[in-house]
Amino acid sequence: MAALPRRIIKETQRLMQEPVPGISAVPSETNARYFHVIVTGPEDSPFEGGLFKLELFLPEDYPMSAPKVRFITKIYHPNIDRLGRICLDILKDKWSPALQIRTVLLSIQALLSAPNPDDPLANDVAELWKVNEGEAIRNAKEWTRRYAMDN
Amino acid sequence: MSATVDERISDELEALEAILMNDVVVKKVNDVPEIIETVVHPSTGDDVDQQFVCVTLEVRLTPGYPDISPEVTLRNPRGLDDEVLKSIYTQIKRKLLDCLGQPVVFELIELIRENLTESNLPSGQCVICLYNFVEGDVFIKTQCYHYFHSYCLASHLIAGQKYYQEEVDKLPSWQQMQAPQYQTCPVCRCRVTCDVEVLKAAPPPVDSITAPPFCLTAELKALQVKMSALLARQVARGGVVGMGDNGPPPLTITSPSDNDGGSTSQEADKAEALASARPHTSSENAPGSPQARPVYRGPYRGFNRRGKPGRRGRGGPAAGSR
Repeated sequence: MAALPRRIIKETQRLMQEPVPGISAVPSETNARYFHVIVTGPEDSPFEGGLFKLELFLPEDYPMSAPKVRFITKIYHPNIDRLGRICLDILKDKWSPALQIRTVLLSIQALLSAPNPDDPLANDVAELWKVNEGEAIRNAKEWTRRYAMDN
Repeated sequence: MSATVDERISDELEALEAILMNDVVVKKVNDVPEIIETVVHPSTGDDVDQQFVCVTLEVRLTPGYPDISPEVTLRNPRGLDDEVLKSIYTQIKRKLLDCLGQPVVFELIELIRENLTESNLPSGQCVICLYNFVEGDVFIKTQCYHYFHSYCLASHLIAGQKYYQEEVDKLPSWQQMQAPQYQTCPVCRCRVTCDVEVLKAAPPPVDSITAPPFCLTAELKALQVKMSALLARQVARGGVVGMGDNGPPPLTITSPSDNDGGSTSQEADKAEALASARPHTSSENAPGSPQARPVYRGPYRGFNRRGKPGRRGRGGPAAGSR
């Protein structure tokens, strides 16, 4: 494998030295471009108390193209589908090399606080979120309790 | 409150407008000047290309001005770090006290300009490679006053062009005609117009040549162990994506050729944990996900509904999904 760009090394070091509250990202033992990530559910959201595991991969041309990120822990959210794929503009056409692993993960955490059922990835979830928000939030809490709590 | 404007203020405004001409903006409320705004640059003769820093000075005239100090704010600093700004603010405070009772705006502009001239080199890192600007680096200032190593910006523009072309190719031809060209600044998304060919010829950042190798620390290893323990517990509880599902394989991208989304090959080291957790059966759906859905075609997020690239969201760390 080609040498790891120093940008990736720098980002990894900074993630360790100045961790973002509620977020941890650790490179894999075998591949320094692959990160194991845990994002805690934001306070006052239906995901509060959950520990959500994600995987993040930095493609060959990173930072010219966006990291690939996916939820591994199941989550009930209108912008995250059954396979954990995330609908977020900065992971697609709004990517900029000025963004970093930490800002991407912060954006994902923010997405948990502010679901956007008008731009859905999980249609069934988004539909319920629009017609019966109360029930959708109950579902999200239940999924969080069932799948993402660490006890 | 007097409807007439203090003569000292009207004289000052007249002088400012005479000197700065279009570069000064005076905002008035009921004909009473309230805010004076101007962008201050370092003095470099008329050589705009050599101006690497700038800041917007906003002076809010308090009702008793000039016998009472105005409120001074520096906005949109470019190429200036917090230390420099702090020092300028301290000097402004002193100047305001010294000049109480007389018009002060021009003095402020001069003071800021002197400071900018002194620190007329971008401070901080190139946000693309995270290296500092050092002696010998070739860098460029965009029209929006952001700095990059020429080499780095070239890579960004080339990648942007490639992505843009791919997106345009997906559009029907009548929309292709309307799709505007776009090359954006990585920091503020303002349009940039640069000659990529020239930028491309620049050498890579000086510091990048002495990059130390990466190694896993004990701390990292401890975190890895903690994370895999958590994952194992979640797997045991059926809390991991794909379990009990019969959808397409999860998106686990391992090479650049897989960039375009959709289902991909799974490669050993990455998908290992998942493979063990996710039986490839066509069993029933997970509870909570109703009937099977048609094959997922992948999120196509390149263009908004009017077929124009960009402008789909606000971007940046706080941007949600739009």
